[in-house]
Amino acid sequence: MPAAIGQELVALLPRLRRFALVLCRSYALADDLVQGACERALANAGSWTPGTRFDAWMFRILRNHWIDHLRRMKVEGMTEDVETHTQLIGDPGEAPILSKLALTEVQRAIDTLPHEQREVLVLVCGEDLTYREAADILNVPVGTVMSRLARARKRLVELTEAA
Amino acid sequence: MSQLHLSDEILMAFADGELDEPVAAAVAKAMAEDPGLARRVVDFQQSRRLTRSAFSSTLAPDVPPALYAAVSAQVKAFEAGNAADDTVTEFKLRPPPAARSGRTYPSFMKMALAASVAALAVAAGYFAGQREASGSNGLIAQLESPSVRHALSTAASGQDVELPTGRLRVISSYRLANGSLCREFKLQGAAGAADAIACRRGEWNVDFAAAKPAGSADYIPSDGADPVSAYLQSVNAGDPLMGAAEAQALAEAAR
Repeated sequence: MPAAIGQELVALLPRLRRFALVLCRSYALADDLVQGACERALANAGSWTPGTRFDAWMFRILRNHWIDHLRRMKVEGMTEDVETHTQLIGDPGEAPILSKLALTEVQRAIDTLPHEQREVLVLVCGEDLTYREAADILNVPVGTVMSRLARARKRLVELTEAA
Repeated sequence: MSQLHLSDEILMAFADGELDEPVAAAVAKAMAEDPGLARRVVDFQQSRRLTRSAFSSTLAPDVPPALYAAVSAQVKAFEAGNAADDTVTEFKLRPPPAARSGRTYPSFMKMALAASVAALAVAAGYFAGQREASGSNGLIAQLESPSVRHALSTAASGQDVELPTGRLRVISSYRLANGSLCREFKLQGAAGAADAIACRRGEWNVDFAAAKPAGSADYIPSDGADPVSAYLQSVNAGDPLMGAAEAQALAEAAR
């Protein structure tokens, strides 16, 4: 019997959507991604190990779903070079979404970071995941998580201090 | 210790509480001696706080109701599917792992089908064949009576058999991927009618049943599907056994 993950899934929606927005920067696409990831999660509910972090498991599914989406869009080199292609994928009317919002300078600074730094930033600093958990979600070594994260945060401090 | 190289990563890990104790102690000691190091650690703490507040505010506006509704519907379908699984489990029908692979239907599809079975059963005033729920006197309780079981072992599909409890007609026979022989049949009695699927595991056991009381209006689902065929689809019953194939299967099952 698969674990009863339905309630947790619904409760996690705001955070899933936030992560999806960081990944794809389009509201419409983010909602599609979240919905698709939820479908995947329910279909594979048995593969979640109760007692482990459900949110980390979902973030991983969501991100894999995003990568598959990019693959379907026939975008090459998406793992290291997602940023340069993201604008091609998002709804042109909405990307970059962040400019539509009344952003704080921090948010604006985060938005200038490379994609791979943004996603590790949201996972560790936004979602309070450990380096190890983030590394598992992103499928990279812990050392990579740390170097991306340190660069992102140094840049953030520079940008916000300069402003 | 004064030669300790403290990279940004190490200082960040210290700020995040990710360092093991011996290293953390060394960093703390170095910080006490070097205000520059302390400043770098404070910056990492600050960037974490800033990021946290930025992500918790406008970057994550309210989840649109449509998304909530869509996912809630998925969850409902999933949980209804689990409930249907429970019903099946009660009757001990479990397709073996081998039978699950190479299926025509993805698992989510199967859940949706199972969910639609549950939904239809409710909508039509049907009730799924749980013996406890149906009470001992109901039509459902008759579905595993000796006379019904005997008829299931002998009657060809399409043949009406008059039984003490009513008229039984086997509609079709199926061989599931796990090898079990199953038969879809209808039992029409004074109290009402029941559509059921029984599978042979030493004896005929009802795996699924939908009954409606006498006098209730015929229910025709709008999509042309009915609970029994949806159930058959969900267990990947495949094509029915015809004529000689059915007779042979029945003969083998009787042994």
